[in-house]
Amino acid sequence: MNSRRFGQLSRRGFLKSSIGAGLAASAFGATPIPSSALGRDGAVAPSERITLGGIGIGNRGTYDLGCFLQQDDVQFVAVCDVKQARRDAVKKIADEKYGNQDCKQYRDFRELLGRDDIDAVLIATGPNWHATAAMCAARAGKDMYCEKPCTKNIAQSLALAETMKRTGVIFQAGTQRRNLPHFAFACELARTGKLGKLHTIYAHPAGMTALMSGWLPAEPEPNKEVVDWNMYLGPAAWRPYNAKLLDGFNFEKGGGLVGGGVLEWGSHCVDLCQWAAGADGTAPVEYNPPENGQVVTRYENGVKLILRETGWLPLGSCPVRFEGETGWVEAGDSGKLVLSSPELIAGRNVAEIDGYPATFHVRDFLDCVKTRSQPKANADAACYSHIACHAANIALALNRKVNYDLKKHEFINDAEANRLRSEALREPWRI
Amino acid sequence: MDQSRFLTRGVWLAVIAFIAGSWVQLAAAKEVPTEKQLLETLHSGAPADKAIACKQLAIYGSKAAVPELAKLLPNKELSSWARIALEAIPDPSADAALIDATKSLKGELLVGTINSIGVRRSAGAIDALANCIGDSDSQVACASAVALGKIGGEAAVHVLHQAYDSASPELRSAIAEGGIRIAERLLADGEKERAAALYDIIRSADVPKQRILEATRGAIIARGDDGISLLVDQLQSEDPKRFALGLKVSRELKSGEVAKALAAELATAKPERAALIVVALGDRGDSGLPETVLQAADKGNKAVRMAAVQVIGRKGNEANLAKLLELATGDDAELSQAAKAAVVMLTGEKVNAEIAERLPAAQGKALATLIEIIGLRRIEATTELVKALKNSDKTVQAAALAALGASVGPKDLTILISQLKSSKGSDAEAAERALQTACIRMSDREATATELASAMDGTPTATKASILRILGAMGGPKALQTIASAAKGDDAELQDVGTRVLGEWMTTGAGPVLLEVTKSPIADKYRVRALRGYLRIARQQKMPDAERIEMVRQGLALAKRSEERELALDALKRCPSAESIQLASALLDDSGVRDRAVETAIFIGEKIKDKDPAAAKTAAEKALKVAPPGKLADRARALTNSQ
Repeated sequence: MNSRRFGQLSRRGFLKSSIGAGLAASAFGATPIPSSALGRDGAVAPSERITLGGIGIGNRGTYDLGCFLQQDDVQFVAVCDVKQARRDAVKKIADEKYGNQDCKQYRDFRELLGRDDIDAVLIATGPNWHATAAMCAARAGKDMYCEKPCTKNIAQSLALAETMKRTGVIFQAGTQRRNLPHFAFACELARTGKLGKLHTIYAHPAGMTALMSGWLPAEPEPNKEVVDWNMYLGPAAWRPYNAKLLDGFNFEKGGGLVGGGVLEWGSHCVDLCQWAAGADGTAPVEYNPPENGQVVTRYENGVKLILRETGWLPLGSCPVRFEGETGWVEAGDSGKLVLSSPELIAGRNVAEIDGYPATFHVRDFLDCVKTRSQPKANADAACYSHIACHAANIALALNRKVNYDLKKHEFINDAEANRLRSEALREPWRI
Repeated sequence: MDQSRFLTRGVWLAVIAFIAGSWVQLAAAKEVPTEKQLLETLHSGAPADKAIACKQLAIYGSKAAVPELAKLLPNKELSSWARIALEAIPDPSADAALIDATKSLKGELLVGTINSIGVRRSAGAIDALANCIGDSDSQVACASAVALGKIGGEAAVHVLHQAYDSASPELRSAIAEGGIRIAERLLADGEKERAAALYDIIRSADVPKQRILEATRGAIIARGDDGISLLVDQLQSEDPKRFALGLKVSRELKSGEVAKALAAELATAKPERAALIVVALGDRGDSGLPETVLQAADKGNKAVRMAAVQVIGRKGNEANLAKLLELATGDDAELSQAAKAAVVMLTGEKVNAEIAERLPAAQGKALATLIEIIGLRRIEATTELVKALKNSDKTVQAAALAALGASVGPKDLTILISQLKSSKGSDAEAAERALQTACIRMSDREATATELASAMDGTPTATKASILRILGAMGGPKALQTIASAAKGDDAELQDVGTRVLGEWMTTGAGPVLLEVTKSPIADKYRVRALRGYLRIARQQKMPDAERIEMVRQGLALAKRSEERELALDALKRCPSAESIQLASALLDDSGVRDRAVETAIFIGEKIKDKDPAAAKTAAEKALKVAPPGKLADRARALTNSQ
């Protein structure tokens, strides 16, 4: 087992992390931006690096991997993908980075997880696999950065949080906006009462209907070394090979029935709303069917979370808006903030970073691997923001109001909604 | 099951679409098949239809569906679909069917069935699972162990215990997982002693290290304060995994005794571990600061000191102010910065007053540091800060100016205005920043803008330009009016600043002003800038479609260059309609923007083809004539053919 992560944190290793320079910046109003993330420090000895493996490294995963490779305290050592072309592409990136041929390739992630010398994994498969792979990784004792949406249904969301707690590993959901200064500041304004008593928060789900893949006509299955269809299907119910289904981005993301828009973007924007409302350990209890292009949900304390597709200031994708009794704030992927009053930002220097980079989020994760602190997008936070999305999806699918009991984690007097809380996994997979 | 309900449910169009394959969009359904129809599909339908019928039965299936679903369990293609329904149907017959299937299934199909039994927590499955845990297929045995763990209870514990002695390493790991799940449930039910006992058995068993760590975590948490000695064992372990576990669990246990234990460890831990213990102490919700953290901040290893300073900032109060200020004025730049950050974070009612009280007696670096902190904490100390503006030390002067910007109220705004008027060069830049910081904070923005506009009278151009930039940052009608006047005025430098600020304006109110400036007799380059700002508003801001189209129409009338026409075309995409496609089509003959016009016309045409087919077709036909061969031409052709 790699023993370099804990207990051997060097002075420089400490100072380069967010605990040192970054949190100092935080105190002055900026999000912690560690010096290493800005490329200001020197090389880290291989013995101090966090060894990383990648599972399902396609387009998004390659971007995430790039963020990891920017960090001097990371050594990427292995890639697993069901597609040969992707395995080769990622190995090339890693080997070129390190000037060697050391990056190992795997078709079955269980072999990668079985390696004692790997500390952490990046999970960037299609959403079909996220929860199942994450829980396999946790049982193998690996810390993980897991792309979103992290779960396919409510039961998986709860199991995810329980498993991460039980196994004691560090989990960071790929909801990187939690580590972007302007989004974090907007959430802070709402959460700390600077907007007065919070009453309404808005998320942009970018689509409240769902696209999903189906059972397409069978095509000749490729050699499994080229594309391992069985592993690609993984926990999803069986269907024949068809090349059109080889798009992890759209595959079974909603538990096979509902999902899509609300879950795909809600795992970002609803997640931010949850953070703003101080609701990381809870979720709305009432979900109404869509009306006038909006899905209105309500927390126990009366705060409304409204999913809406239109009516936003031009602040780019993934906008959120938080309204209190004395003020409001809106933020989006342009990196800009719009405030009801400039006073709200006086005395603060909030960096305006557009393009929603994941660099800071990756840094937060790596720091937490070292300190064992909870990352900003930890499993509990992800669990409840995903529950909110799944419950909204169920209200959409059933086209009626549903009420959620947060203690029992079931819908009140609604057997049909309750049957949508989970879905069997294909053999042999379990969570 | 009430059969009539099947006729009113609105979800199943989605699933029917799912059957149809290809990419489909889910939508509210019109009709739902009855359970009888679904069962007929299970009996005689094609595999894809059977699969979707299973998904429907997961929501609407009753006891009647169970036998038909059970028949699919041996089917390699449809077993997982059948279990989707069988896991969800609440009737006990579903449990019975799954249990019964364990007698005949093998391999992965049996594993899946056992997993479903685990999900359903079928209490009647213990005997079946006891049988399966002895299966020679390791996957089957392991699945059984975990399913027993999910079901829980004495009988499950007994089966797991019985299986342990002869188990393979892989099965022992699964047995441990099952046992930990049972202990977890006992703990949740308040049976702490029984949970702790089970955790203890597992952590002393011959199972993989990860399982031992999980059981150790559980054993500590189940015991509460009595588990602290076990926690300390982890923190003192040479094994980094155990140390990491100790750090993690020390955040989970709420008892103040844990903080004491961590503080005690801090005193003896190696520096690299001590820093991490300090961070763990800081993450906990305890009130107060352990003496060892305060001592750690004072001297010794720098990483530990940095961590301690940060924790003091998060958890300290006025009692810690003196120490932090001492560090903030020290020679070590990193520690100094961390200490300043910590002071800014400090809570406590007296912190601000105590900082202000120290100001009159402070000198040199200490004075500059205090002033910087006053600004960051926005402490009211105007008199002392004004005095500091005249300090002979430039660093103190700069800090005072920035602090005034962060802290003055409306009545003292004149101080900063005077400072701006009397400054030059880099001093003027600092004064502008300070004044802007103050102005955007004022609650009565219009009154502030009026005060600033008045202050422009008789000042040099450079000062006027500064004030225009500040007004731009503030926004509001008075600011807009003042900037517009400057942009249309005689002074070229103010035309430059004014048009630049207007070009970045964030509300639609700037539209008419920018149009007016575009038409005014100022230098061409500034009129172009104003027009671009005008079209940016048309493209970006929220407004009714008719208003946006009118803005584009007026903008195009003034646009002389391709660049602005392209901006106009982009704006048209936001409001697809017969009017907007007509405007876009009008530019198809413009060689400078032809390709963009083609793309825009097709884009709009595709959006409006159902609502206004004639307009879409007319524009597509025109676009097709000038479109370059390729995708755009194909899309245009498709539009003309689709109607």
